[in-house]
Amino acid sequence: MLDLLVIGAGLSGMMAAYAAARDGLRVRVIAKGLGSMHWSAGGVDLLGYLPGEEDAVVTPLTALDALPAGHPYRIPGQEGVTEALALFQEIMGQSGLAYTGAPSADSNLSLPSPVGAARPVYLAPAGQRGGDLDDDAPILVMGFQGMRDFYPELIAENLTRLGHPARADFLPLDMITNLRDRNTIQLALALDEPERAKRLGQALKVRVRSGERIGLPAILGLDEHPRTLEILAAESGAPVFEIPTLPPSAPGVRLHKALRATLLDAGVRVEAGMEAMGFEREGKRIRWVETETAARPLKHRASHFLLATGGILGGGIDSDHTGKAWEVVFGLPLTTPQARSQWFRPEFLDPRGQPVFRGGVPVNNEWQPVDGDGQVVYENVWAAGNVLAHTDPILERSLEGVAIATGVAAGQAIVQRAGGHA
Amino acid sequence: MHGISWQSVDHSLDECIKCNICTAYCPVASITDLFPGPKYSGPQAQRFRENGQPHSPDHAVDYCSGCRVCNEVCPSGVKIAELNARARAQIVADHGLPLRNRLLGRNELLGKAGSLAPGLANFALHNPISRIVAEKVMGIAKEAPLPTWSRDGTFVDWMKRTASQRLRSDKKVVYFHGCATMHYEPFVGKAAVAVMEHHGYEVIVPPQNCCGLPMLSNGEFKAAEGYHRNNVAHLGGYALAGYPVIGTSTSCTLTLKEEAPELLDMHGEAVTSLKMGTWDIFEWLMEIYDAGELRTDFQEMEMVLPYHAPCQARAHRVGKPALEILALIPGVDVRESHARCCGIAGTYGYKVEKYQIAMDVGQELFDFVLDQGEEVEYSACDSETCRWQMEHGTDLPSRHPIEILAAAYGLYDMETRELVEQAT
Repeated sequence: MLDLLVIGAGLSGMMAAYAAARDGLRVRVIAKGLGSMHWSAGGVDLLGYLPGEEDAVVTPLTALDALPAGHPYRIPGQEGVTEALALFQEIMGQSGLAYTGAPSADSNLSLPSPVGAARPVYLAPAGQRGGDLDDDAPILVMGFQGMRDFYPELIAENLTRLGHPARADFLPLDMITNLRDRNTIQLALALDEPERAKRLGQALKVRVRSGERIGLPAILGLDEHPRTLEILAAESGAPVFEIPTLPPSAPGVRLHKALRATLLDAGVRVEAGMEAMGFEREGKRIRWVETETAARPLKHRASHFLLATGGILGGGIDSDHTGKAWEVVFGLPLTTPQARSQWFRPEFLDPRGQPVFRGGVPVNNEWQPVDGDGQVVYENVWAAGNVLAHTDPILERSLEGVAIATGVAAGQAIVQRAGGHA
Repeated sequence: MHGISWQSVDHSLDECIKCNICTAYCPVASITDLFPGPKYSGPQAQRFRENGQPHSPDHAVDYCSGCRVCNEVCPSGVKIAELNARARAQIVADHGLPLRNRLLGRNELLGKAGSLAPGLANFALHNPISRIVAEKVMGIAKEAPLPTWSRDGTFVDWMKRTASQRLRSDKKVVYFHGCATMHYEPFVGKAAVAVMEHHGYEVIVPPQNCCGLPMLSNGEFKAAEGYHRNNVAHLGGYALAGYPVIGTSTSCTLTLKEEAPELLDMHGEAVTSLKMGTWDIFEWLMEIYDAGELRTDFQEMEMVLPYHAPCQARAHRVGKPALEILALIPGVDVRESHARCCGIAGTYGYKVEKYQIAMDVGQELFDFVLDQGEEVEYSACDSETCRWQMEHGTDLPSRHPIEILAAAYGLYDMETRELVEQAT
């Protein structure tokens, strides 16, 4: 039997699975589909904004202590969060996808978004690091004619307006592929071919001006990304970096693949296409979770269960037209407002955020879901990631940081408990 | 608490958030322009197929191989492969079916016809001249890996011949052999029977038809419905009485469980009993294993075994039970393939215009198998056409996992594909 069943294959579930498997637990991850990471820009946001404040956070680590009590960061605190991020950096480094932050550990990087806004990112993959907006070098935003969902002119204009000189240019898409209507992942795969990368690098060399760095859509290789980056920089003679695209996002897919491979090496299988839709309990213990199949429900027996299914955007919380919201696997108590009229404030961009996104599963300091009286709901259930209450990752720009910090901490809490039982 | 998977195929398309993960993982869209990808052909084009539109806007859907990788990776539970299958059926209803597709859908009939005179049939089908003719006249790719008819009778012939030696027991299971085991690979059925009897189960083989999947894949829903009705009539009673209906072809069992009821909108009591009572053989063995009843009297087998869980096995959504059981055999080093698809997708890769696509799709699997080292003698896969495709693409023989398990119990010879005579 499994020691731990993780429900959800996003960043929090995978990090928790790793933290538990590393300490010898028998772990499996199940997921309805492949989600969240495929939509993410691939960086790690820690904390960009504090609720109710207009200005971006300058010292994100220190600012963790300024978050309201109950925020998931307040449980591990600065020390626990730093430790979890270090573990993430370590495993990504071993996977060949190095993540680094600003020179000072207590500051965010400022990187261009897909529309040319400045976004606060705590750790960036090597491919995006060169987009650092604290660097004064002017930017050549290079797009490809006919490539959907990447707009160099928009990006360059917005960056320039923000005080970062940038200009837009285009190359023909057949530099990369002769097939039509390719999406980002297919283009990234095409650029895994060294010959194509070389040809692109040579074309960039002709277009780039002295002193410029080149921002390209995030399609610079998928499985051979570091090599593709190297070839492009060498052939173009200029620093090259990626600007995230609309989904599916190659940096997110790389991250997902790297974590999945790391888990496989640690003996953890990740099964997609398995939607949790029921469970069996005995008193306050969950005996098994059931997933939907082509016929009978499949039982997943484990001694510990971690809920890492995501929030209302990720599918861990569902709702109906009246605004009634529920947690989809165990029906756990939620802090989410249960009437549609209470979901949103009158102002769309209210700096305090929207209540519906701050709602979620409340937990105790051991990451175990609790009811309104603070009592543990199920003795062997834990929760991590965006399903948790008291965080609004959209407003805070804290999505990946919360996922990593809570995933690792919950995984460790489960290891401790499992050790206690053994 | 029920999510989208419990909703109808049509309603599921409203859950699509256009994230394109399906397109990113679609093995066909990544290598050809002829198929724009699951999102476009599925939930997107479906908008234009609503309300009895007379003509489908999207004939590219014919290039969907039906592998169901899109369903597997979709984070929103959209039943993309089913949308595509229904769209193909609409095209067939509008425009009729080419003779070639009609023939490929009639697996059972072909099997029966060839089994009358297997030597002649094999010669007629497999000589290079007829393959060229078949390609020119019918559009059946001349290189594609067609099976050969069994020369020593069908699987059911063997069951009858050995009736007196078959185990009688209070514990009974029903075996669904499918057309391939019946006519081309009776040895897979023999291995399955041997393993089930080894666990003390009597194996019942009622009359049965083709599961109907080849017809469903080719958009011939009406004929598939006839087959499914017959199967329900023959097997539904057993399922209702609680006998597990066990199959060795993961695509046949998937059809009994889900494809036929869902695509054909058949939801009666007997249909649902059969759906709920059908098992892939390794899914069933896993259940026995979980109950602590799987026999472990294995012989040691030193082998490196590249194993590919075919798309249709993954589409059962029960994990990879064959992988887990094979890993219990001492000495067997199972290497798990993460390739998306072998390419052949039932009848898809036999069509001349799709043969090369199927081979290109399969390349990542062929490479995986060949990368496992010189000492590899066999690959393994649960689905027959996938095995034939893997053999075609790698030049290495491929075996059903049940053949390997039967060999590990000392019941079966993997090389000759014969049961080992038991000393009594």
